[in-house]
Amino acid sequence: MLSRSAEGLYWMGRYLERTGFICRLLQLQAEALVDRPARDIHAGWRRLYASIGREPPGGDLGDAESDDFTLADSYTLAGDLTFERSNPDSVWNCFAQSRENARQMRHCVSAEVWQRLNLAYLRIRDMDEPDIWAESPEKFYAGMTAEVAAIEGAASATIYRDEGWRFLALGRALERAQSSCALLLAQTEIDEEAGTADADTDWGCLLKALHALEPYQLRYGVAVEPGAALDLIVTDPLLPGSLARLFDALEGETEALAAGPAADAGAAARRAAGRLSALVKHHWPDSGDRLALLRAASDQSLELHGLLASAYFAYAA
Amino acid sequence: MDFDGYNLDFYDEMLLPDGSPREHCRPLYDALRELSPERMKSIQDGVSRAFLHEGIFFMVYGDEVSQERIMPVDCVPRVVPAAEWRHIEQGLTQRLNALNKFLHDIYGEARVIADGVIPADLVYECPQFRPEMQGYAGPEGSWATLCGSDIVRTAEGFRVLEDNLRSPSGMSYMVATRNAVKAGFRRLYRASRVREVADCGRLLRATFRELDPQGRPDPTVALLTPGVHNAAFYEHVFLAREIGAELVEGRDLLTRDGFLYMRTTQGLRRVDVLYRRIDDLFLDPNVFRPDSSLGVPGLLDACKRGNLTLINTPGSGVADDKSVYPYVPDMIRYYLSEEPMLANVETRLCRRQEDLEYTLDNLDKLVVKKVGESGGYGMLVGPHATPEERDDYAKQVRMNPADFISQPVLAFSRAPCLVEGAMEPRHVDLRPFVMQGRETRVVAGAFSRVALRRGSLVVNSSQGGGGKDVWVLEE
Repeated sequence: MLSRSAEGLYWMGRYLERTGFICRLLQLQAEALVDRPARDIHAGWRRLYASIGREPPGGDLGDAESDDFTLADSYTLAGDLTFERSNPDSVWNCFAQSRENARQMRHCVSAEVWQRLNLAYLRIRDMDEPDIWAESPEKFYAGMTAEVAAIEGAASATIYRDEGWRFLALGRALERAQSSCALLLAQTEIDEEAGTADADTDWGCLLKALHALEPYQLRYGVAVEPGAALDLIVTDPLLPGSLARLFDALEGETEALAAGPAADAGAAARRAAGRLSALVKHHWPDSGDRLALLRAASDQSLELHGLLASAYFAYAA
Repeated sequence: MDFDGYNLDFYDEMLLPDGSPREHCRPLYDALRELSPERMKSIQDGVSRAFLHEGIFFMVYGDEVSQERIMPVDCVPRVVPAAEWRHIEQGLTQRLNALNKFLHDIYGEARVIADGVIPADLVYECPQFRPEMQGYAGPEGSWATLCGSDIVRTAEGFRVLEDNLRSPSGMSYMVATRNAVKAGFRRLYRASRVREVADCGRLLRATFRELDPQGRPDPTVALLTPGVHNAAFYEHVFLAREIGAELVEGRDLLTRDGFLYMRTTQGLRRVDVLYRRIDDLFLDPNVFRPDSSLGVPGLLDACKRGNLTLINTPGSGVADDKSVYPYVPDMIRYYLSEEPMLANVETRLCRRQEDLEYTLDNLDKLVVKKVGESGGYGMLVGPHATPEERDDYAKQVRMNPADFISQPVLAFSRAPCLVEGAMEPRHVDLRPFVMQGRETRVVAGAFSRVALRRGSLVVNSSQGGGGKDVWVLEE
């Protein structure tokens, strides 16, 4: 297929996944505002900003213990992450970018996917902060999360499994892997800094954000233990968004792509995906330095992105 | 819906002067009469919503910003009986045949000029004439492969208002309009035996397949778009999918050793037929505008070496130029030895002194158009303009008379439209699509544009016009 079309589908997948990821975290934050103490809300914002690598507006999240840090500041932070046009990772921008890539590649996606994406975009196009806070912001974020899931479901049910599908799937898996790594790294760093982990609140929230709380409880019981939670998210072969599954998917999709015109970069991409898969399967169980492995997984995911681009999108002709 | 107070001053496509329906429109008329205003509104809402959901936008270029707009579409179809359509189809086939012979001739031996049928300066000084194409002979003599002529019905019958041979657009809107309208009138549509328009992509593909530069049966076809910001991007996407072509931009293409290639995930792949939707001057910076980033260096060379077919062929625009237009009936007589089946609108060329004087003396009664413009831009509708606007326009005409033509204000037909909950007549035109490869194909339908503003004669979507479905009935 045309390189630009492949690239467009890849980015459509990435932005759609990013929209879902940020909405899910914002939904939990909005819910926390109703009944959680200021400390938990503060930790949530910190985790969220660290996981997307962005400084909060004003550069500081303020006092973690102050109860003043509730509605007013959260309103500003949610605005920055939801509708702020100058924030490339705001929900609005991610969704608009996903829709724009789909619009440009309209001939490569099914009518069902395009129409859902377009309709959802038209619904939020002219919305702003006050519109979603008038009732309950968590309702908006839950709605968006469901919308993203519905679009992904429509894609899964209707898009022909050709090369275009593979690039869409690669974009989604790589984005999800990078987001998960970033979130886990952010929480682990927060714990290291504090010298302790708030298992039930922080890790419970993190498990929820990654759709892993119920599977965790099934496997380990009700009390959340950070080490076990980390293991589950990284290695569980049955958890849909575990790193093990995502890296396996990346390896499978890169293997299935025919050797591109830049054969060296293509082979390097396949090796990089293989290394990621081996990292969680073979290195993780025996390693004492989980933080180092998470960093390696994050760096290697980024490297894989670059290799895919040089192999299939921007090769020298 | 009732038709009380419906104005019948002009020829109406549905109703006779006494208010009764024309025979071929009776089923539609009866169906409309039975519909409540609420149901009618719901049909209209359904049509508008279909365009919104599908994301069918066009861009309107303003002085400062361009805007994404949904094309307004009226839900009441215009019905064309089989015999009338046959006449239009034959007339357009004849016309495109002559236009292609004319293009082949002027870029070749130029007999039509030597024989004094058309003045040399009109052709060679036309801004659309491309001297670079002289001596080129494309496959099957098809220069203008796809043509979308605008037709209106006057008191004297059908008239061709203009031919569009560069990048005629509207085919996607025609199909989208049909899909939306037939969903609103399901039973009536089934009973009316309307000819299909959804096969337009198949017809276009069949035509393109006949035009491989080396006559091979299964050429690789790509559609070249200026990109997502172009007014007709939706159409480019639609057509690429319908004809099974890759949708490419200039940056996806490169030429090597006289061949055109596109960058795919599997390396470079040769392109045999390029349906381009960008203007001639942006096609190849080596030959035309050197600052163009939309085109591909070496494109024209690939075409002239016989390794690539460009559709429509660069330089085709000379045959749809507003100054050349008055000579089309003579071309038909000259090349085909036939009388034109579809007449032109009486047109005066301001480059001729007597026509210039007549135009300036009668500005308040005429429509004056700028030769190089399209889409309703740069046009003066004399009777609707203020004295100041007419004076300003007259100055422009005096300065460059050759840039202008004038035509009488046409009393062209109207058709019922749903306007603010009531049936009101609005002026309509007709844009059918004709394709010429080894054989000529006409899509059995058209995109009808409607001047939605009350009293307006301007049907262009950029100027407040909308769309209307055209139901061509089976024989």
